[in-house]
Amino acid sequence: MSQGPARGAAAGDLGPAGARQWLRRMRLERKLHDGASLRISAMSLRLGLLRGEAGDTSFQRAVGELQDELHTVLDELRAVADSIYPPLLDQAGLGPALRELAMHSGREVTVRAVDERFGTAVEGAAYFAVADCLAAWTEGAGPVEVTVDRERDGDDRYLVVTLTGVPACHAVVMADHAEAMGGSVEVTNGATIRVRIPCA
Amino acid sequence: MRVALAEDGVLFREGLLMLLKAAGHEIVGACPGGDELYALLATEPADVAILDIRMPPEPDGGLTTAERLRAVHPDLGLLFLSHYAESHYLMRILQIGTEGIGYRLKEKVGSVEVLTDTLTRIQAGEIVIEPVLAKRLVERPRGDKKDAVSALSEREIDVLRLMAEGRSNNGIAGQLFVTPKAVEKHIANIFQKLGLHTDASEHHRRVLAVLSYLRSQRNEG
Repeated sequence: MSQGPARGAAAGDLGPAGARQWLRRMRLERKLHDGASLRISAMSLRLGLLRGEAGDTSFQRAVGELQDELHTVLDELRAVADSIYPPLLDQAGLGPALRELAMHSGREVTVRAVDERFGTAVEGAAYFAVADCLAAWTEGAGPVEVTVDRERDGDDRYLVVTLTGVPACHAVVMADHAEAMGGSVEVTNGATIRVRIPCA
Repeated sequence: MRVALAEDGVLFREGLLMLLKAAGHEIVGACPGGDELYALLATEPADVAILDIRMPPEPDGGLTTAERLRAVHPDLGLLFLSHYAESHYLMRILQIGTEGIGYRLKEKVGSVEVLTDTLTRIQAGEIVIEPVLAKRLVERPRGDKKDAVSALSEREIDVLRLMAEGRSNNGIAGQLFVTPKAVEKHIANIFQKLGLHTDASEHHRRVLAVLSYLRSQRNEG
């Protein structure tokens, strides 16, 4: 079955509004990549060309400094893009994007994810639920395990993300993202946060 | 060197072309997408192909085109350029090949020297990885302490990280301010700790060491 069945009333009412936000964010990220970022990268090459042609070493050094400055601008734009909608999430899905997030988090985070796509909005909500939760939890960071699965409940389908190792009080950070998509957050055994978002 | 290029952004493509010409390379052709590059290289020989990762055919035409190219032109060097340095793409790139292959940030090939150095190393069969990515891979704390890489000493990890950047023994020695002899000793220890046996060639074991290192950085259960 490729077509998702009708969702619950809450999802029907809230899903589309929540979903539009993610689509808009994904398009903004693409615009940043295809526009400003690419233009600045090209400019860095042009400056490199200029530096190569110049005979004067102090001029060469000045151009080199400008290139370094542009590289910093690009790093800042990459950070902005990641906070809008991570390009890797758009390109490769939740597993790769969460693994990259884990790598940048500076703590031990293990990610196990199904190799499937869930659509721009569902993936955006799930990714930022995890990202915001990890960012909110700054003290006593022990190992964390994140899993991503697909689940069926009768005719309904869900993306299910679990977090183990994060104090349950941080579940509240994830609720906004899940509920805007008609989903829910629950804490099981006091130790595992479970996020469920309806999907196609 | 004969270089072919595929990049869908016109401005960046033009900038790279000018830089390649200034570096004295012969441009075989410049294409807006992977399929055009594949068609071009069917008739025009080249030493290295430069590919944007995110270009047509979408979503990551650079990677799919490179797979097809490696199958029909195994000696063609491949340089991937991207706006992002992601370990996800690095793993995919190393699945395409572990010789004559490179992955660098677009803005970082912005000088005649760096561009030529990158292309020359790839043509010579090396792996060239954006230093910031190789660095990030080692600095990350790992969950699985049982893997073989965690048995390495700090200095051995330094050596392995520089190997992952595709550097030669002399290059590693220069970076770490030690003798090439000391580097060889570290590498022998790395091979031994990772269980890479002497029946494989030096280059082959180097690649395997880098791969187990990169794999140990991935969080797959």
